[in-house]
Amino acid sequence: MANTMSKKEALYAKKVANRKLSGSLEFTTSRLGYQVSAALALVFWFFARKGSVMWMGVAAVYTVAALLQYVICKKIVKEVTGEANAVSPATRKLGWLLLPFVFVGDFFLFIAGCMLIKNNKNLEYQLSVYSTLVSIFIIVVSMLNLFKETQASTFWLGIGLYGLYTVLNLVVMQAVRKYTFGKKPDKKFLPYAYISVAGLALGNVFSFLLGIVALGKYYNKNEEVNVEWIDVIRRLFRNYMACIGMFIVIFLLSVSVASNLTFEYAIAIDNNFRVRLAAPSLMYPFGCDDYGRCVFTRIIFGARISLLVGMISTILPCLVGGMLGAIAGYYGGKIDNMIMRCLDVLAAVPGILLAIAIIAALGVSTVNLILSLSIGGISGYARTVRAQVLGVANQEFVEAAKACGAKDGTIIFRHIIPNSLAPVIVRVTMGMGSAVLSTSSLSYLGIGVEAHIPEWGNILKAGSKFLETNPYIAIFPGIAIIIIVLSFNFFGDGLRDALDPKLK
Amino acid sequence: MSIKRFKDTFQRMYRNSVYRIWLWVLGFFTVLATYIKYKSLKGKDQFAAIKADLRKELEATDLQEQLLHDAMLQARKKNEYFKKNASEADIEKEAKAIANKNFEQILQDRAQIAAEMQGVREVTMAQAYADLIDNKLFLFASVIVSFPMYIVMVLFQNPISKYATDRIVMMIFVLFGVTWLVFTILYISPMDPALNILGQTATPEQVEQFNRVYGLDQPYLTQLLRAFRNLLTLDLGNSYQGNENIILALSNKFPITLQVTFASMFVSLGIALPAGIISAIKQYSSFDYIAMFIALLGLSIPNFWLGLMLILYFAINLKVLPATFQVGNWLTLIMPAIVLGTGMSASVARMTRSSMLEVKNADYIQTARAKGLPENKVVMKHILGNALIPIVTTIGGQFGGMLGGSSVTEKVFNINGIGSYIVDKQYIPDIPVVLAGVVYISFIISIMNLVIDILYAVIDPRIKSRMKNY
Repeated sequence: MANTMSKKEALYAKKVANRKLSGSLEFTTSRLGYQVSAALALVFWFFARKGSVMWMGVAAVYTVAALLQYVICKKIVKEVTGEANAVSPATRKLGWLLLPFVFVGDFFLFIAGCMLIKNNKNLEYQLSVYSTLVSIFIIVVSMLNLFKETQASTFWLGIGLYGLYTVLNLVVMQAVRKYTFGKKPDKKFLPYAYISVAGLALGNVFSFLLGIVALGKYYNKNEEVNVEWIDVIRRLFRNYMACIGMFIVIFLLSVSVASNLTFEYAIAIDNNFRVRLAAPSLMYPFGCDDYGRCVFTRIIFGARISLLVGMISTILPCLVGGMLGAIAGYYGGKIDNMIMRCLDVLAAVPGILLAIAIIAALGVSTVNLILSLSIGGISGYARTVRAQVLGVANQEFVEAAKACGAKDGTIIFRHIIPNSLAPVIVRVTMGMGSAVLSTSSLSYLGIGVEAHIPEWGNILKAGSKFLETNPYIAIFPGIAIIIIVLSFNFFGDGLRDALDPKLK
Repeated sequence: MSIKRFKDTFQRMYRNSVYRIWLWVLGFFTVLATYIKYKSLKGKDQFAAIKADLRKELEATDLQEQLLHDAMLQARKKNEYFKKNASEADIEKEAKAIANKNFEQILQDRAQIAAEMQGVREVTMAQAYADLIDNKLFLFASVIVSFPMYIVMVLFQNPISKYATDRIVMMIFVLFGVTWLVFTILYISPMDPALNILGQTATPEQVEQFNRVYGLDQPYLTQLLRAFRNLLTLDLGNSYQGNENIILALSNKFPITLQVTFASMFVSLGIALPAGIISAIKQYSSFDYIAMFIALLGLSIPNFWLGLMLILYFAINLKVLPATFQVGNWLTLIMPAIVLGTGMSASVARMTRSSMLEVKNADYIQTARAKGLPENKVVMKHILGNALIPIVTTIGGQFGGMLGGSSVTEKVFNINGIGSYIVDKQYIPDIPVVLAGVVYISFIISIMNLVIDILYAVIDPRIKSRMKNY
């Protein structure tokens, strides 16, 4: 009897500890930090097995990182589940040790360090950390070009500008620490908020979010009520995997902007037969393909194509399909029947096949690719929106709007669409991932993006010819595709949880 | 099969405006006879007499003025509230329309009540049909003349077969739609199949000859109608390149695609169902986290890349499996099955987990446990059984998609299936082949969806009971 009691107590204590730990940002970030670092260290040791000094060095640094992070993580576990229920200031100081690892590319440790250093982490602080990380990471990735024989003419200009941008981000972070607390940021924070909003021009969506969250809070008239979309973002940032997904997507977006300055496009497209099929080295991190083009640079420049095609070919059908679905769901009856039967025809053909047929007819080009992927996506979005609108259109507030004599357009755009947006947003995020997949699949078949443009599917297609002798040309672009699609999927999963009204 | 059931079916079908058209089209002579009988009876029966009496009676009272007064009030208030400045005449016109409508409604209601009390029925088409069909000679004649109508009526007596009939008719329309869509897309194509097949050096006469042979010089509508006719006669014509019979080519490639599909379904279900079930039962365990991470990874890996990596490792480095597919060699089927199977298993596992989590805490599961059922029976029968619908949807959708051929994977492993056939022909573009391929695949997918929807009624008693009222 006593034995079962103590067993139960132990189970209960474990549950309490688990709940405390899962609520602690310090723990979740540092756990993932050491796990990923250890996994990467293993991969690098595997590369280093042939005695390459470069890989050995990288592997050693990652091993140190993983061990350090592991020790800190154990300390955090002890302190959080212990009597104090909180991380001690001494442990928080250890967070500074984790920051420099960002310079060897381990951003997990940087995030864990930032989360450890500060005690009160509000949403603005988290956003500014990610925003800073994006700018630092761009510099780190660009610095790989230093090992090349030549750099882009604007290389140092770009590095300088991004260095300044990083400093600016750090200043904003200080401002966040000083001026944002409670429900409303201080008035002094407003200029920083506007600066952050401007970060969107560089593709830094974190900085943009930071700005509009601060502005939204500042201009919120009723302080007792939380702004709903800020709540959604806050819930999203509780899910660490979703944050990582978002970080990778936004980093690729920003690097697409930054690569104009810091990367040399010629290395990605010009033939250079001296280094034909060169193995991976510091100068060419992912090796060179059969025309002697640097695969790493090609992948960096491929990011913009993949993101561009992915985004346009999800947003376009979302707008068209969403509008058709909203009209069908709102009016019902004959209009509904007509629209949905037409869309049934589109839905009957699998997306990739329709894309193949359209490209067969119109010819291979990026515009045709976007068009064909978009047309295939329309019916899916229309159905999602229609189902949502059918649910919302019968609710009281719509009836009230009708009774007040609101026009149909007003009701659809002001009342129904905002209330049926959540599943559409999730679908769009996941859809971008699968659009990237479709793009690369079609490129692999030779009917996607034009063959000379560095797109990930094209790079892979070129690599597949040298699978026996130079497998790395096919491996690295594949990993890039997996990472971006995985990021979109994690982000989408997180968004779905954040938008779920049951979890509010 | 009693005559009464035909009477009921006729009544139900005639009530619906779409089915009414069907009845007229399929059984024109029977329905025409019925209509004539109906028209001859209408207005001369007892119900009409009752209604006429009642109308006189009501017109004598001040009911009409009362209704008009109310309607005027309603119209004025509405005008006032929406701040419209309608003229007095307009308001009166609107009020009169409302009053008349209400009057007719009241009259019809009262007449029906009165008729029911006297045991008289209003004459309807169904009534007329019932009267006619009692005559054995008419029944015999109408079955011969309009047997399609009777076939449909037999199908409509069972809710599931009625549902299937509806869906199949819909599907035929969708297939025509698909044909139209794909044909139009290929028609507006700026590419010239003649030049691609004959080569750039072809003389204009040769090109013209080619176009004449394949009917490409005819106007859009003629070509479209020929495509429709081909669809109806199931003769899809010959391909431009090689001049092979398309139906024959497709049916030669179908067994290969079927083989690959079954093999990868086997792999997919073997991985996905156990993983999903264990993840749902042990939610938030390490197994759950790892399995769901792998599932998400499986969703994110491009099929062709996974295929290339498997070829690299098993065919090139280890030399244990052949890299390309050969018909009849089961070893060559392993890698394509793994590639396609893991991709599918990812979404099936996620769906299994989430739909099982939804029913896991339902009251009836508690009841099942409380009555002392062993845990594995609770899980397999009650939780999984109730969570099956979305899982079957996912699996069925994928099965249909796979039967249509997975072009990319087929290309990687050099499988001579339907997907790679279409991709090979689209470069030209070989219009009849691409058209036939797309229509064939849409057909397969529509049929699969239909089968799944009918399966629902078999596995889910809730849907079965809802279908009874269909």
